[in-house]
Amino acid sequence: MLNSRICRLLSGLSILALVTSPTFAQVKVDERLPEYKTVQGVSGTIKSVGSDTLNNLMTLWAEKFKEKYPNVQVEIEGKGSSTAPPALIAGASNFGPMSRKMKDAEIDEFEKKFGYKPVPVKTSIDMLAVYVNKDNPIAKTGLSLEQVDAIFSKTRKGGHANDVSSWGQVGLEGAWANTPISLYGRNSASGTYGYFKEKALFKGDYKDSVKEQPGSSSVVQGVASDKNGIGYSGLGYKTADVATVPLAKKHGDEACPAEPASVADYPLARFLLVYVNKRPGQDLDPLRRELIKLIFSQEGQEVVVKDGYLPVSYEIAQQALADVGIDIDG
Amino acid sequence: MWLSGGALVICVVMVLGLLSLVFWKGAATFWPMPVDRFTTVDGRPYMGEITRHDTYRPALTAYNNLAPEVVAQAETLLADTGGVSDRDLVRTGNFRLTQNHFHWVEEFEIARRDQPEWAMVLERLEWGRFYGLLEAFLILHPAASAEEAHTLLAALEPEMGLALRLVDRRFIDGAEQTVLLPPTALGEAQGLLAVAEVANGPEVAWQAFEEHHGEVRERWEERRRLEEFDTGEVNHTQEKARLAVRKVELQLQEIAEQEGEQSPAWHTAQATLEAKRTNYAKVSAWADGEFARIREEIDAINQENSRYQLLLRAAGEGAIPAQSTLVRLDDIVRAYPANRVSWRDKLGIYLSRWHEFLTDDPREANSEGGVFPAIFGTVTMTLIMSLLVVPLGVLAALYLREYAKAGPLVSGVRIAVNNLAGVPSIVFGVFGLGFFCYVMGASIDELFFAAHLPNPTYGKGGLLWASFTLALLTLPVVIVATEEAVSAVPNSMREGSYACGASKWQTIQRIVLPRALPGVITGMILAIARGAGEVAPLMLVGAVKLAPELPIDGLFPYLHPERSFMHLGFHIYDVGFQSQNSEAAKPMVFTTTLLLIGIIAVLNFTTIWLRNRLGRRFGGGQF
Repeated sequence: MLNSRICRLLSGLSILALVTSPTFAQVKVDERLPEYKTVQGVSGTIKSVGSDTLNNLMTLWAEKFKEKYPNVQVEIEGKGSSTAPPALIAGASNFGPMSRKMKDAEIDEFEKKFGYKPVPVKTSIDMLAVYVNKDNPIAKTGLSLEQVDAIFSKTRKGGHANDVSSWGQVGLEGAWANTPISLYGRNSASGTYGYFKEKALFKGDYKDSVKEQPGSSSVVQGVASDKNGIGYSGLGYKTADVATVPLAKKHGDEACPAEPASVADYPLARFLLVYVNKRPGQDLDPLRRELIKLIFSQEGQEVVVKDGYLPVSYEIAQQALADVGIDIDG
Repeated sequence: MWLSGGALVICVVMVLGLLSLVFWKGAATFWPMPVDRFTTVDGRPYMGEITRHDTYRPALTAYNNLAPEVVAQAETLLADTGGVSDRDLVRTGNFRLTQNHFHWVEEFEIARRDQPEWAMVLERLEWGRFYGLLEAFLILHPAASAEEAHTLLAALEPEMGLALRLVDRRFIDGAEQTVLLPPTALGEAQGLLAVAEVANGPEVAWQAFEEHHGEVRERWEERRRLEEFDTGEVNHTQEKARLAVRKVELQLQEIAEQEGEQSPAWHTAQATLEAKRTNYAKVSAWADGEFARIREEIDAINQENSRYQLLLRAAGEGAIPAQSTLVRLDDIVRAYPANRVSWRDKLGIYLSRWHEFLTDDPREANSEGGVFPAIFGTVTMTLIMSLLVVPLGVLAALYLREYAKAGPLVSGVRIAVNNLAGVPSIVFGVFGLGFFCYVMGASIDELFFAAHLPNPTYGKGGLLWASFTLALLTLPVVIVATEEAVSAVPNSMREGSYACGASKWQTIQRIVLPRALPGVITGMILAIARGAGEVAPLMLVGAVKLAPELPIDGLFPYLHPERSFMHLGFHIYDVGFQSQNSEAAKPMVFTTTLLLIGIIAVLNFTTIWLRNRLGRRFGGGQF
């Protein structure tokens, strides 16, 4: 009697797993992604050095991984994307999370040491949001990239006619018209800094008046406490005290809100990458292979949602896994 | 006079102000708040704890896309108050359902506000807080088909006070809901999940929860123990065997280079290598078996635990409808009906939260759980630092004061020491990284830990190098304080000692040092205060975001000074500036700050107590 009950319990385990899965969510993980299965023979230390945007994500993945393989040790550092390539090159890390692509110089440096290029793995999607204080009406109307460029950049490569330094110049009325804009940004070690410079500033230069912050979350906190503030940071760091500004690619286009549903049209959507050092023709060691498999499993992408970013589709996951020599269904 | 008095008052007010702010905010963090439910004029629900209140002047443009009835109410309200409105920041939780942790509720859009009796606050292991109305407690027996459910219904005898129900999942108004059906309604089930023993209704459910939560959590603790200690031990044994092989391999290589292959030494080494390899294979096989066994135990515990669940009704948020959800009992760290708990229960919850904070590992990328590894790291590092800096600083100061002949060299050294105190701490960090980690550490690795390479053992940031760096940083403080103390010992005492025939060292040891001791210890207090609060250099030489392995544990050689560690100061920086849910992290920053200040105070008071004790002991011989 008892035995048969246990048997039934075993057969029902997979169903129980379903019970706890979300019943309703705005952001859903692609159902075709595989469930993660633990394997044997995984040991070693996960050492990740790199992006601050991906810092929490890497920590959450590592925590999940440690649940599966308690014998694995974990060390996570996240002081900016620029710290990832040197650590990978020096062998001081086995994962290099970056919120931007590696620059040519960084790839060359890597190639000089190893003779091949590092492999970027597209783990998740971030929408780089432009934040303003929650009471700022610009969050209702939106900005074009040229205007964003004119707000943040002194070179104005986006082609906006004149410099924008007060909210009135982007169409706000009443008390807002004469309030000066207060700028928040990241420090130059950050991949978000680099990405925003390339895409929103058209490779121009930041104004000197941008208040550079040490972390993604401190940009949001700065804007939250400054009524006239504007800043940029990953969508995952959004709080109730700030609002995201809808963005249009060109002046006159309809502004696209920074919401998961409109990721395809949003001008500042980017992949969050994890670089690994993989010798062509050689398989990854079990530790790195299994962590990457975990990232692209249901559980791993649930973690992405938990951290406020967007999960990747089955096709992207398949391609990313193939890049490092793993078969998604294997 | 009044100028200096005024300066003192300003200093005291600033220090006390800062301390009381930290204390107030930090101490209030863990106090359980009631749960409020709001329904807006256009029918959107919000439920959660109110964390902040704000009075402001809403701009007219702020509500151009609100529902017309909201705008109407807003206009009447604003006309009454002269354009000023209130709003509350509500912690709504339920992130998995709503993708939001917090929401501002405007006063002018509220239609109804109440505190539901059975509103539950759930602190979970994952996904943060959950707010919902308690519906039922369930012990599940999974059943995939109607026949299975039938057999189960016939075979099961429910526990005292529990009734048998069917658990069904279905879509109602586009949202997936979990509903309970009576056993007779087997035919109506749409997505049959399980047969369950159910305590239906909040009161009985709460009773059943309290009864079962303890045992479920105990099993979960057992699982954690298996994961941490048992696996750790097996892993350690396996790693040791692997390193033994690697060591002999390296030896073999060396012998082959020096004496050539086929030499007698090479053959012996070859034989040892074979033996070690066989041993490693044996250990590996054993370890795999152990891992599988542990895995099995963990799975069994997991499975047993997964049967116990709570059924809650989430209030919904904004456009997202209310829905019933199951929550596993072992996922719940703490749960309480926020609007029913008495003052005494609240105190219990408050204390248990502090207990968790002080003794547990961090969870969810450091935004929840405890800070025990960080406390441990801070204290260990500070102690090692004091052990290093005090002897070194005291000896250096004694030489400067007692032995060295005054001259340009000595005053040069003294100026250098004083200047050292003014060097920015990050410079020490860079020096520590460049010299200790990359030069000394790398050489140690090559000499003693060659088998571990390319993974660095000492050639990276770690507890030891962090302590060395901070010892350097605080050295000037100790030297200057000791020098002052030593020079304050009157010369007549030294001369008296010499007159009795004592040598110079005897004089220093018996006469000068005891008298200077309080001053030396004052230097040590200053060093501790400075060292424990320093963060910038630590970021370079070993403090990391997550390192749950402590530098002291039950595995040989017990002390692991090479490990990276967590530090409270760095933890504050991390939680404050890097955490995703920064609104919820803010109070944690204050609490952690309070804790750090507390720890430094405890360290200092211990030293002061030591000073008084020593002062009394040596004081006997003085006049």
